[in-house]
Amino acid sequence: MKGSLIWYAQRYSSILIFIYVAYIFYFLFSFNGQISYFDWTMFILSFEMKAFTSLISLLIILHSFIGLWTVGTDYLTKRTLGFLNKSVATNANIIRNAYYFLFVVMGILYLIAILYIIWL
Amino acid sequence: MFGNKLEVSMYRYNPEQDEFPYMKKYKIEKPSKDIMVLDLLHLLKEEDESISYRRSCREGVCGSDGMNINGKNGLACITPISSVVKKNKIELRPLPGLPVIRDLVVDMTEFYAQYEKIKPFLQNDTTAPEQERLQSPEDRDKLDGLYECILCACCSTSCPSFWWNPDKFVGPAALLQAYRFLADSRDLETVERLEALSDPFSVYRCHGIMNCVSVCPKGLNPNKAIGEIKSMLLKNKKNIITSDGAHQ
Repeated sequence: MKGSLIWYAQRYSSILIFIYVAYIFYFLFSFNGQISYFDWTMFILSFEMKAFTSLISLLIILHSFIGLWTVGTDYLTKRTLGFLNKSVATNANIIRNAYYFLFVVMGILYLIAILYIIWL
Repeated sequence: MFGNKLEVSMYRYNPEQDEFPYMKKYKIEKPSKDIMVLDLLHLLKEEDESISYRRSCREGVCGSDGMNINGKNGLACITPISSVVKKNKIELRPLPGLPVIRDLVVDMTEFYAQYEKIKPFLQNDTTAPEQERLQSPEDRDKLDGLYECILCACCSTSCPSFWWNPDKFVGPAALLQAYRFLADSRDLETVERLEALSDPFSVYRCHGIMNCVSVCPKGLNPNKAIGEIKSMLLKNKKNIITSDGAHQ
């Protein structure tokens, strides 16, 4: 995989996440504190916002995956774990793959939960 | 200036004798004038001949005596002790992140392997002119701040990304040299050079920590060069050089 693809994915996902958060704050502050539960529900449950929230949820997972993958390839290697303990270092690949498996599973569960809440 | 005695704490390790490295303290008479850390090492070696360190030109040109001085990498030969001694104490360690051969001498194999990887030589397969390949003064100016690197490894060994992945991340020193050839109007292998750096580790593992800029004894800016390489990688590579080889 090209490094530039990951670079773009991380930057563009963060920009879109920022726009999403900024848009929600803009909506909230546009009511000058007079927002009702009905107003909020109509806004967040509109089809456009449901789609936008679903997209952002996916991007949050992608963004997190890149960050956690970087952490894993930096700190869960034979070399780095070797500073702690030699026997731990010999199992570095297993530890790193278990770590990847854990956050991929968590990401999928998070996405399922979010999509379920939003759409069902 | 430094009191009566100067306490030097030095990293010692002789693999033929020591199971583990240790810090050894030396107390020497305060120098009558401000001397360089390398001179201090010479004084210590007169006391203890077993001390090992690299040195050659003793004027900041050869890059042999890079070491960690009070927690910051630098060249011993151009670092005055007045600038590093605190409370009459100084701590000397080998460059971090590389295997120690003995005392302050490190194994630079990984560092040079990365340097070799970027092909640090001019590549131009057009017919060589009778005298030399010329370039405009403007093109020559682009090499300033790049060619001056002496490969002392102070920058790369202060970089956490290089500590964690010295086999994959090229490191600031070699990337500075990579850009030195990418920026050279006479070099025609720009696309191939960029292709070799396009994986997620070689360049992109730089997170802009800036330790390299902070420690460079020649005042260079590897982080800026890495930024330039990233910009070139993110552009369409086909547009970087024109058909006549001129850089855009």
